[in-house]
Amino acid sequence: MSSLLSRRTRPRRILLGGIGLLVAAVFAFPTYWMITSALKPRLEVLSAQYDLIPLSVSLDNFGTAISKPGFTTYLTNSLIVTLGAVACSLVAGLLAAVPLARLRFRGRKGFVLLVLVAQLAPLEALFIPMYLLMKDLGLLNTLPSLLLVYFATTLPFTVWTLRGFVNGIPVELEEAAMVDGCGRWGAFRRVTLPLLGPGLVATSVFGFITAWNEFLYAFVFMRDSSKYTLPVWLESFQTAFGTDWSGAMAGAVLYSVPALVFFLLVQRKLVAGGTAGAVKG
Amino acid sequence: MTTVLPTVPAGEHPPAPSGGRKARSVFRRLTGERAAPYLLLAPAVIVLAAFLGWPAIQVVGISLRRLDLGALVRGEVIWVGLANYQEIFADPEFWTITLRTLAFTATCVGGVMCCALLIALLMRHLPPAVRIILQVTLVLAWAMPIIASTTVFQWMFDQQYGILNKTLVKLGFESFAGYSWFSDGVSTLGVISLLIIWQAVPFVTFTLYAGLLSVPKDLYEAASIDGARPSQAFRAVSWPALRPLITLTTFLSVLWNFKVFAQVWAIREGGPDGESTTLPVLLYLKGIADSRFGVASAVATLMVLLLVVLTARYLQLLLRTREGQA
Repeated sequence: MSSLLSRRTRPRRILLGGIGLLVAAVFAFPTYWMITSALKPRLEVLSAQYDLIPLSVSLDNFGTAISKPGFTTYLTNSLIVTLGAVACSLVAGLLAAVPLARLRFRGRKGFVLLVLVAQLAPLEALFIPMYLLMKDLGLLNTLPSLLLVYFATTLPFTVWTLRGFVNGIPVELEEAAMVDGCGRWGAFRRVTLPLLGPGLVATSVFGFITAWNEFLYAFVFMRDSSKYTLPVWLESFQTAFGTDWSGAMAGAVLYSVPALVFFLLVQRKLVAGGTAGAVKG
Repeated sequence: MTTVLPTVPAGEHPPAPSGGRKARSVFRRLTGERAAPYLLLAPAVIVLAAFLGWPAIQVVGISLRRLDLGALVRGEVIWVGLANYQEIFADPEFWTITLRTLAFTATCVGGVMCCALLIALLMRHLPPAVRIILQVTLVLAWAMPIIASTTVFQWMFDQQYGILNKTLVKLGFESFAGYSWFSDGVSTLGVISLLIIWQAVPFVTFTLYAGLLSVPKDLYEAASIDGARPSQAFRAVSWPALRPLITLTTFLSVLWNFKVFAQVWAIREGGPDGESTTLPVLLYLKGIADSRFGVASAVATLMVLLLVVLTARYLQLLLRTREGQA
């Protein structure tokens, strides 16, 4: 019976497998094309010949991109702004997530709603007042302005997902530690905090990718090209060196690598976290 | 250590209950039990209020003012009522851009949801090796930073040396030699939609696939024993598990795609001739390029209102269940 069934479904399985590979090829192509274009010698990129598979490989483009004036500055800018924002929102987020998950107090529901609404805020619509606010604070064209915006942007989902992770740790563990003579803080530090490790990592990667990706605010706030972050740099690269596609592709690869590495670390958790942040309580 | 924070600013205390207790124990009780949650929440509340709440109020306020660079420098506050809104409504360009933004959002959301649903359903029937290959490629597409993928798409669609035109010519469509995909607004937005769909499908696919995996296998077996055709099994077994996730991801897609700026701006800056300008691009042009902050804020306010209308049904559901559970 089962062999009959499998024989009958075999062509269907092959067909579906073929479709699956085709879809995979479609999704992989832009990444493949970015990498191969970056690896091709400059002259070969801009040629009329059909070059789906690179004929020769060189690392020159990466050398050119890295040695382009200011690349390290843009990289540093991006890292300062992104890591700073993630660190801040992790601290403030954890401080807020613990009472939301563990304590009963007046106004808790209201705060949970606030965090939820904040998550949905269309930031693209708020950049005019934000621009004026930063101008008033004298922060326009400085890295702290972006750091603050990314802090505020990543904070709501940091609070939300961390609250979920704290909820997932049985409160009985903390109570047991308190029975054994730990204070409330001691119980938290010795029991809950270590168990929160993976949650903190997943949440911070989530924040890292948001801030690393951000374009609009970086584009609007930063007037001096020495203050650009990588996304703005990559975009300007393209207009300034309109024909240098191999250089742009090498830049794109370099800019993608950190996001890619972090993403691969936690991509399973991202789905869980992303949907938990919006469906489950 | 019973208190969570060692020092407590006096202003943060809730009013002390009346009653004759020793000051010290009242203090301890207040800081340890009553004030602690508020103190812990304070940094988050301050940041959210200053950098999300305040701008959100401000954007409405500025939309009722005439504010340009001159007024800003002189520190003038000129209230003009609804004049900014009247100006926008009187501009036929605004209505074109609004309709274009809605059509663009609908295309992206529709495309993302259809592709993701089909791929998620396909994934269940794939041999494990193929499934893993497909999942890896999806993760790669998802992980590529937005401006990087935008750059790559521009290169793929390049008029002279783009791989797409080269391939089409190779396949015998000679007329695509040197064809410009960015010569008009519809085609430009089409390329941008493809880019957005390509990058947004992975998240939705994984979410829906996770939903499908949560359906017990026995249910499918029972359905096939009962003689259900695949389409019937889908409707009776898969759909109920998928429906809440489809509603959720559709809502998120509307939210994300309606306000897309980076891709639209990076591809052609809303061109050619403003034909691919969407509401966020208009907001940028009015606000930063023309420094007409009042008009731009009116556009922003209208954008948010439109977004609320588009997602009202789901927003309502979401807030209600959240309140119940919180």
